[in-house]
Amino acid sequence: MAHVSQRPVGEPGNLTAAGLLVPATIFVAIGLLVPIAILFRYSLNAFVPGKLMVDALTIANYVKFFTDPFYLQVLWRTVRVAVACTIFCLIFGFPLAYVLARTQSRHKNLLVMAIVLPLFVGNAVRAAGWMVAFGSKGFVNASLMGMGLISVPIEIMYTEMAVVIGIIAVNMPFMVLTLQSVIEGIDRNVEEAAFSLGAPPMTMAIRVLFPLALPGILAGVILTFILAMNAYATPVLLGGPKFQTMGPLVFSTFAQQNNWPFGGAVSFILMTVTLILTVASSLLIRRRYA
Amino acid sequence: MMADGRLAGRVALHGVAYLTLSFILMPLVFVTWLAFFAQEIPSFPPEGYSLKWFGAIANNRNFVTGLWTSMQVAVAATAIGLALAVPASLILARRQFAGNAVMNQFLLLPLVVPGVVMGTAIYVFQIETEIATGLPILGSLGGLVAGHTLIVIPWTVRLVTASLAGLDRAAEEAAQSLGANQWTTFFRVTLPAIRPGVVAGALFGFVTSFGNLEMSLFLVGPGRITLPIAILQYLEWKIDPTVAAVSVLQIVLIAAAMIITDRYVKLARVV
Repeated sequence: MAHVSQRPVGEPGNLTAAGLLVPATIFVAIGLLVPIAILFRYSLNAFVPGKLMVDALTIANYVKFFTDPFYLQVLWRTVRVAVACTIFCLIFGFPLAYVLARTQSRHKNLLVMAIVLPLFVGNAVRAAGWMVAFGSKGFVNASLMGMGLISVPIEIMYTEMAVVIGIIAVNMPFMVLTLQSVIEGIDRNVEEAAFSLGAPPMTMAIRVLFPLALPGILAGVILTFILAMNAYATPVLLGGPKFQTMGPLVFSTFAQQNNWPFGGAVSFILMTVTLILTVASSLLIRRRYA
Repeated sequence: MMADGRLAGRVALHGVAYLTLSFILMPLVFVTWLAFFAQEIPSFPPEGYSLKWFGAIANNRNFVTGLWTSMQVAVAATAIGLALAVPASLILARRQFAGNAVMNQFLLLPLVVPGVVMGTAIYVFQIETEIATGLPILGSLGGLVAGHTLIVIPWTVRLVTASLAGLDRAAEEAAQSLGANQWTTFFRVTLPAIRPGVVAGALFGFVTSFGNLEMSLFLVGPGRITLPIAILQYLEWKIDPTVAAVSVLQIVLIAAAMIITDRYVKLARVV
């Protein structure tokens, strides 16, 4: 009895503490880090058609990727789409995040739910929604033709624009929620001070709000960029089989061609390029505002 | 003049904000709309409305088995995830030790590793394990559950540590000074107090697992696909009111989980 109350109450002993923390840690380490290490090792193996994977220690898979114009074009397309999506998410997400952060409404929870629900519903279902809107007899074309603006349906499905619109909608909730949490922490009085000194709303936003919200902007940009780079369902369904991006390329190399070494290499290139661009963009944003 | 500028600014701000919100919701509206079409072809304007497509779900074997598999996997992964994450959160929230923040970030890692990369990595890991042990892991329910547990853990850790941070220790101290041991204190005092966080963590974990697509693509086996994959495969072939109806089913299920979560923990505080 006495020795129990020696310790700060509610705190288990060191051994118990370790026993409680270790299982989850081991699970994540074995379930995530070990697989990634094995995948990297696979990417250094050789692929012989007919024999599948052959043990080796070669960078041939990486060389193959960076010397083939087809793969470089897939990478460039992925980066281009991801950058466009991230910029649109930031520009259109900020106003919604601001309104959400500053609202006094009783229905704030409803607003949050309206933003979170699409996020959890999954990408395939949301892509289905856009397919309904974008088809040649879909909502957009039927409306435009009904209004007499066009006489033949315009091609929206299976274009880069469809993919960009789809990914923006998928990533927007992440951007809005990230920005919102940071804007909530900014004192309203700083904004009022700028206004009372005669700053127009845009000036206030650019000179006061954005610099203060920088950590949130950075976090939001990084998150949406990573997600856009790795998008799978949206490019597959809205871009069609000819619109190749990195995510679908990893899957088809792995599951359809069974070329594990090359698939591993593509995975790692995707991860590394994402990481490099993420670091570069955060440095750029910091320099711009700090 | 100045007040005019502020008013115009406010109007523009709210205009863009609500435009963005409707943009986020638009795909859900369209897919729900299609589910009630009378005709099979998704052409506008619809010829009429019907409920028959919801009955048609039952005739599609992939949707039925997909729904069942997704349910099993999500429930199992959530249960295992909770068993691992709740004790860990207890230590992370209560103990100050060197590396506390690092450990916390480490457990949140599965949230930021891209789904496709995670899928390929776990796929090769399961192949290696299968070769080493001779057990059929790849494409099995167990293998799928293990992968999903990984993505449940971060949400549970995040929500349980958040609810522990706001917990007053007086009740636990009272229990212990009245002679309760650590375990009794945990199960009778601490756990009931953090129940909202645990429930929210469980539901977030459940919906994350239920909606997961990218990682699952690599881990499912023949005859055992999850609902999001069944929907994806169907959509690669065609879009019609049947797949829209099953999408509505998924939307309703997840919305229900969100509303229940919101009763325990205000969503605005945890996401």
